[in-house]
Amino acid sequence: MSTPAPDTEKTAQLVCIACPMACRLTVTQASTGDITVTGNRCPRGDAYGREEVLAPKRIVTAVVPTGSPDFPCAPVRTDAPVPKEDIPRLLRELYGRTCPLPVRQGKVLIEDFSGARVIVTRTLPPDDVSPVGET
Amino acid sequence: MIRRSVDAVVVGGGSAGLAAALQLRESGASVAIVERDPFLGGILLQCIHSGFGLHTFKEDLTGPEYAERFVAPALKAGIEIYLDATVVEIGEEPHGRAVTALSRSLGVVRLDARAVVLAMGCRERNRGNIAIAGTRPAGVFTAGLAQRLVNIEGCIPGRKVVIIGSGDIGLIMARRLTLVGCSVLAVVEIQSYPSGSARNIAQCLSDYSIPLYLGHVVTRIEGRDRVEAVQVAPLAEGRADTEKGFRILCDTVLLSVGLIPENELSRAAGVPINEGTAGPWVDANLMTGAPGIFACGNVLHVHDLVDFVTEESRRCADRVSAYLSGGPATPMYGVTPGANVRYVVPNSCAPGRENVFFLRPLVVKNDAQLTVRMDGQVVRSRRLPHIQPSEMIRLSLEPGALPAAASGEKHVVEVALQ
Repeated sequence: MSTPAPDTEKTAQLVCIACPMACRLTVTQASTGDITVTGNRCPRGDAYGREEVLAPKRIVTAVVPTGSPDFPCAPVRTDAPVPKEDIPRLLRELYGRTCPLPVRQGKVLIEDFSGARVIVTRTLPPDDVSPVGET
Repeated sequence: MIRRSVDAVVVGGGSAGLAAALQLRESGASVAIVERDPFLGGILLQCIHSGFGLHTFKEDLTGPEYAERFVAPALKAGIEIYLDATVVEIGEEPHGRAVTALSRSLGVVRLDARAVVLAMGCRERNRGNIAIAGTRPAGVFTAGLAQRLVNIEGCIPGRKVVIIGSGDIGLIMARRLTLVGCSVLAVVEIQSYPSGSARNIAQCLSDYSIPLYLGHVVTRIEGRDRVEAVQVAPLAEGRADTEKGFRILCDTVLLSVGLIPENELSRAAGVPINEGTAGPWVDANLMTGAPGIFACGNVLHVHDLVDFVTEESRRCADRVSAYLSGGPATPMYGVTPGANVRYVVPNSCAPGRENVFFLRPLVVKNDAQLTVRMDGQVVRSRRLPHIQPSEMIRLSLEPGALPAAASGEKHVVEVALQ
């Protein structure tokens, strides 16, 4: 379970969300500002633990309306984690947009939001399947 | 009517079917996929969140991105793809199998094949499966249905939501609904531990301060036309303690209370079902009890991670290829779940080669010991820092780990957790 980021010397018990291993992390922040992370089984856990107590970030995913009745929603993501406090502002921005079809996976919808790009994650309409010849 | 003949028919074009079909095609077999949706990708397409592909691609992908990694090559590989086509029967013929499908555009499609791969996935358990008292108002959805409504159809199912069960889809939907402006008031879990992953508890509930009531049950759903409230009570000695109960006003209830492999077709084809998994019984080659019919993915047993589905489905395809080329029969030992293990898949193993097992524990425990015994003798022992029923365990035994036996001898391998 995550606890709020400490601002003075403090220990936080976190669950690492970098991968499904879900390592149980103990993050200690000394009054000198030094941070130690234990319980991680890989370097990503160390990085996550540090970031989580200083400035937590998340990948954000959402859908953006397309205006098309066949495929009304285009799924999108940030290509890097964005600061947690910026998420509501990002969502407001996304919900106010439309993503006209056709669109290909990887199309950049927003070039720079807090250092991340927002990209479309699904090709819509999906690529055609070649018809099967009758025999 | 269309009539075709191929080496293998794959039933289902989701994560399992796509991985199996591609791998089979790469080995040179002629392959057909039959998919009932009008496009390939399966449930991955509605899983717009990230967290997929860390094992398979060493990248953090969303569901649609993971799906397109397989769909794009499948479209180029020369696989026959039948969309909007529902398989209605898998029959037995002298040459192998005959798969019959119905399609709006093509009519009846009959595919003759030497092998069939079952890759139909699973279904959600619903209100009927858990018998909640109360009225029958609108506003009760399974979590996966709500996910489809929000992410594919662009509809929001309600405003004030209570989620029953703490399965991963329910947790993912708690976050998703919060992000589209709903209030998620509670997640109510009957067991004393969450049924979803620790990671999803952290990033979907804790991040948004959504309360999780462990050891609690919803005793009643109220409302005439639309859900108006649910009654919740803690469990005391296995029974709802209604004295300590409380009421939550809400307009929507989501159910995230487990998944069941979808095996109507398999049963009708005479495939024996394993009670532990609700999927087919399979041997070391992932072949079911019906010769020439194989199974992989969530139709076989419900996985936590799509990466494991991909791995299992590719392995299944390799065994199908070996079956199609008609090698000698593989000697096998029976595999059985021991203490604290709900199931082990597959249900037999082949001593001469690597054996990969997926197993699901029955208990929550730190510092557990995984033990593999053959005829009572320990052949492998491994320490696991933490086990819980919601986290599947992968066990690999290298070639030679199991002693070879003279042909005709019967041996049993047991996998246990302590």
